[in-house]
Amino acid sequence: MDKSEIKSRVEKVTALVLKVDPKDISPTANFAFDLGADSMQSIELIAAYEEEFNISMDEQKAREVQTVEGAVEFIAGYVK
Amino acid sequence: MADNTAFPQVDLEHVFYPKSVAVLGTNRVAGTVPHDIFANILKDNFQGIVYPVSPKERSVAGVRAYKYVVDIPDPVDLAILVFPSTVCNLALEQCGQKGVKSAIIISAGFREIGPAGVKREEEIKEIAKKYNISFIGPNCLGVINTDPLSRLNASFARKMPQEGSIAFLSQSGALCTAVLDYAQAKHIGFSKFVSFGNKASISEIDLMRYLKNDPKTKVILIYLEEITDGAGLMNTAREIITETGKPVLILKSGRTREGAAAAASHTGSLAGSDEVCDAAFKQAGIIRCTTIEEMFNSAIALAYQPVPQGKRVAIITNAGGPGVLATDATIAQHLELAKFSAETTEIYKKTLPATANIKNPVDVIGDARADRYRVALGSALADPGVDGVFVILTPQSMTDIENIAREVCATIGKYNKPGYASFMGEQDVAVGINILQQQSIPHYILPESMCRAYASALFFREHRDQTVEQQTEFSGIDKPKAVKVIQDALAAGRKYLPEEESDIVLNAFGLPMLPSGLAHSSDEARKMAEDIGFPVVMKVVSDDIIHKFDVKGVLLDIRSAEAAGDAYDTILRNIAAAKPDAKIKGILIQKMVTRGEEVILGVKRDPSFGAVIMFGLGGLFVEVFKDVSFRVAPVGPRAAGGMIREIRAYSMLAGARGKKPRDIKSVEEAIQRLSLLALELPEIKELDINPLIVNDEGSGCYVADARIML
Repeated sequence: MDKSEIKSRVEKVTALVLKVDPKDISPTANFAFDLGADSMQSIELIAAYEEEFNISMDEQKAREVQTVEGAVEFIAGYVK
Repeated sequence: MADNTAFPQVDLEHVFYPKSVAVLGTNRVAGTVPHDIFANILKDNFQGIVYPVSPKERSVAGVRAYKYVVDIPDPVDLAILVFPSTVCNLALEQCGQKGVKSAIIISAGFREIGPAGVKREEEIKEIAKKYNISFIGPNCLGVINTDPLSRLNASFARKMPQEGSIAFLSQSGALCTAVLDYAQAKHIGFSKFVSFGNKASISEIDLMRYLKNDPKTKVILIYLEEITDGAGLMNTAREIITETGKPVLILKSGRTREGAAAAASHTGSLAGSDEVCDAAFKQAGIIRCTTIEEMFNSAIALAYQPVPQGKRVAIITNAGGPGVLATDATIAQHLELAKFSAETTEIYKKTLPATANIKNPVDVIGDARADRYRVALGSALADPGVDGVFVILTPQSMTDIENIAREVCATIGKYNKPGYASFMGEQDVAVGINILQQQSIPHYILPESMCRAYASALFFREHRDQTVEQQTEFSGIDKPKAVKVIQDALAAGRKYLPEEESDIVLNAFGLPMLPSGLAHSSDEARKMAEDIGFPVVMKVVSDDIIHKFDVKGVLLDIRSAEAAGDAYDTILRNIAAAKPDAKIKGILIQKMVTRGEEVILGVKRDPSFGAVIMFGLGGLFVEVFKDVSFRVAPVGPRAAGGMIREIRAYSMLAGARGKKPRDIKSVEEAIQRLSLLALELPEIKELDINPLIVNDEGSGCYVADARIML
């Protein structure tokens, strides 16, 4: 799977979980600061990404990811 | 640790009286901290403008929201950050760009969680420094200002407390909510209420300095878990108490003996952090409380009633038993039962029933109603021999609790003397207690609490009225000589100064030393002993031997030159047997003082308060009874005298059982010189003078043995 596909799916899932307009999601957007994710939603996001990509991520490391582009990179490491 | 030297003078006006507040990271989810903080500001009628800042909400609680604080078109005086800690740096950066100078960081997840949090906290401190922002927190409940000009509830407490004159500062946010609830039930109001959390920027000292000049605050209460700047705390408290007459009460948690375990000296092992804290607070005039209840018991006495001018109290009671309890408690707190004037006694004879007890405690007996309380209480308060009054009520079947409560309030209110009440019980007396509390009459369930509160108020008055103590200036101090000895030892990698080097250091600061000399042979010992004069003491001097008695390195009462020569050889043999590897510098020959009282003086470097001076009687008094006193340096003449008189065995020095009094003045001077030494020589970690021999009055004192650790 190439990065652009990962990116578009990450944006789709993010918009769904955080209930934001996809137009507001930029690669540098910070989940908490720019998109309003609280701690519960951060956990929901991780679960949603895992479901979307059919992967199982290291939760502790996943929680350190703060931006959309960071999530794309992180997930790319799991997706073949 | 709040490094306040890195921040300019803290202006807290915008924290307490902001014209505009932005809540960064708020949301619409009721019951969450980000939402409830914003809702509280609205609900409690904040007098300024409040802006919600939310990344995704268009509005919060009907108020138009901004995505970023920089989008707000108007100036923002105060920013409240409720974002997750991971992005507080981004939020604070934007606050800086916006020109916000004050902030409250509510978010947890900083220093208190460990290394990752420490790093985050350092980062926000750097950002704050860059933009000259002062902030409260992080990891706090928030700030409340009940002044009607502000009505700011920038916290997630359940409700705004009623307005009052007591300020409460707390290092624990959770405790704040419990205190608010407790105070609510007792109708205790607050002027300012602050949870300051990790105190990464604004500390309790900054807040104290602000409250010093706050016209709405009469009493300052502080809950502390750690003291980072003990000297600053003491100085600020002393300034507040003496310059503004506002009492400072502190509940400091964590009364464990930390730091004492690894100490090498008596002083080090006795000066645990809690003992030092006790001494430091007392020295500064701070009322140290052991429980929240005790803190508020004292606070309401100080906030609601005049400060007592003396310790003579009158007890008015409608039952004998509680009167006796109150009497016992009065004496236990070192107060006095007032003696009534002839006039007062005459009034009681004429107006109270024959069965009433008209001596103090005045028992108006069980069927007393409001009129009898009025007479008894009013006459006591009018009596010039009475400084304060305790009113006790027990609910008999005929006791008119409400009217008596009203009468107590009205009568106490007519006089400029403190009156406290104890309506004993819970259910039936509740209506009366409510009236007392509404009228700001301090009420206590138990007479013992009442007496303790009065004693605290007296302690405060004594310190408030004290003049600033001038430090004694000593001439002839040879600091460079002492510094050289210490530097040479440190350069040689030594952490311990043996006796003859300790003596040089002490002598350089004018502490009185016994004649002595260091012998390197038995012949030298004989001659030296003769020159000094008998009897003498002989002690081994070695960097490797700290406890000389343990290795039989000390021989006392040497009375001839021949004995001195023999003693020299004996000591060397003893050391060879007990510590063969010890390097011996020589044998110290010292004049032996056979009469006089042995006392111990010491110095320990406390991490919070700096140099601490210890005093006590020697021998068993220090080793078994631990009968010692402490003061934080600098110690002036009044403090030195106080610490001597404070020990339980003081009468041994003052002259007990027909013995002559000792030269206490010389000990006071020795303490002050030691205090100066401790401040001038920060390389000294611990120091024991044990013993200092104190002769009869007029005959001075001498250092007989000393030990210095670097």
